[in-house]
Amino acid sequence: MLDKLLNYTSILIKGLPTTISLSVAAIIAACLLSIVLTILLNSQHKLLIASIKFYILIFTGTPLLVQIIIIYYGPTQFPAIRENWPLVWSLISHPWMCAFIALTLNSAAYTTQIFYGALKAIPQGQWQACAVLGMNKSQTLKIIMPYAFKRAISSYSNEIIFVVKGTALVSTITLMDLMGYNQFLNGRYYEFSIFMITGGIYLLINGLLSAMMRSVEKKALAFETP
Amino acid sequence: MSQWFLDSSFTLLLKASGVTLYLALSSLLLGLLLALVFAVLEANSFRWVAKTTTLLVMIIRGLPEILVVIAIYNGIPMILNAIADGFTMHLFITDITIQHNIENFDISPIICGIIALSLLYASYASQTLRGAFKAISPGQRQAAQVLGLSKARILWRIELPQLWRHALPGLGNQWLVLLKDTALVSLITVNDIMMQTLSIISYTKQPFSGYLMAASLYLLISVISQWFLKKLEKKSLYFEQGASYAR
Repeated sequence: MLDKLLNYTSILIKGLPTTISLSVAAIIAACLLSIVLTILLNSQHKLLIASIKFYILIFTGTPLLVQIIIIYYGPTQFPAIRENWPLVWSLISHPWMCAFIALTLNSAAYTTQIFYGALKAIPQGQWQACAVLGMNKSQTLKIIMPYAFKRAISSYSNEIIFVVKGTALVSTITLMDLMGYNQFLNGRYYEFSIFMITGGIYLLINGLLSAMMRSVEKKALAFETP
Repeated sequence: MSQWFLDSSFTLLLKASGVTLYLALSSLLLGLLLALVFAVLEANSFRWVAKTTTLLVMIIRGLPEILVVIAIYNGIPMILNAIADGFTMHLFITDITIQHNIENFDISPIICGIIALSLLYASYASQTLRGAFKAISPGQRQAAQVLGLSKARILWRIELPQLWRHALPGLGNQWLVLLKDTALVSLITVNDIMMQTLSIISYTKQPFSGYLMAASLYLLISVISQWFLKKLEKKSLYFEQGASYAR
């Protein structure tokens, strides 16, 4: 019995590199992208703001599964891409790359909402204080953004866990991540213990992540609690 | 592409949207009920009951949604099998044997989908409800107790009506999440928007247009829900607005 479980675990572990590499890459890329988008949302450019809001609406209004599948299977409808831009084609025909793009765009949309919301929640007095000191927009943002981000950490850590959970969907585009190996084993042995081990591994990852984020938050907000 | 085919694939997609909405709405109803049960259990004075419920909710929230859906789809027949074969539980002093004849092992995937989605919804919504319970001032409960109302009556007539107002924004957000999670049931062979799109694409060989259509349907449902929720929230805050005008 124990042998069997150990055997399942050793096979499932093989999916861990894909799950972790995708999570880390998507989380970092989405974080950077959403910082840029948050800054752009603070600009005066109306068309730019409208297009960012449209992007957020689309990526938060549709399921992640559809986004992953459309990025992976969609381009095959246009053979012109293969003929004219072979480099782009080789990039988007790689499932890892497609999953990375989909997860990043999806998470960046939600993260921008979180960051922008935190920025809006900073009391008006702070903005006015910066204005009185004669700071321009970029100087003001440099002061206020770190402050806002620290306040956003608790909602942001939820988003990080959603990305890790979202990586489980990439098994639908032939990537062999943790969920992919789970499906492979379930198809072969059909046992519930396989699901329990997979679930345990995901719980372990998410538990560690949320513990880590909690200590980061505690440190970041140390100046607020006496 | 003949006009006939375009028309028929459009009606097929509309029908599939009905399946998606049916799934989402029934999961919402069952999920709300479960969430209420979870929230009440978590406030239970028996500590181990409260702790077990909290643990269960935390586990569901930490698992990928796709894993929960597929595990339930695979797990329910296994449980039924075990019950039909009969098994013995060794409880401290006595042994309990459970055996029941089951004729039908085919549980419809829609039912599995509803169970999985409502569990997922309930695990998030129970936290919202717990927060909303705390937001009701304890004076309300004390006043009701002084008036001699029973516990159940206090919950139904005093606390629940006030609960919705605090809980509505959170529950609304989780409804939008639930709506998107319904796409996962296509993986357990429910003929929803995603599954229907897949079978349409196998004819048309146009994956981009097909999935774009599916995405637009989801977006449309989301946007309509958001509009409706905004209206509902405004209505639920009606009394508070009145109070602020009076001041």
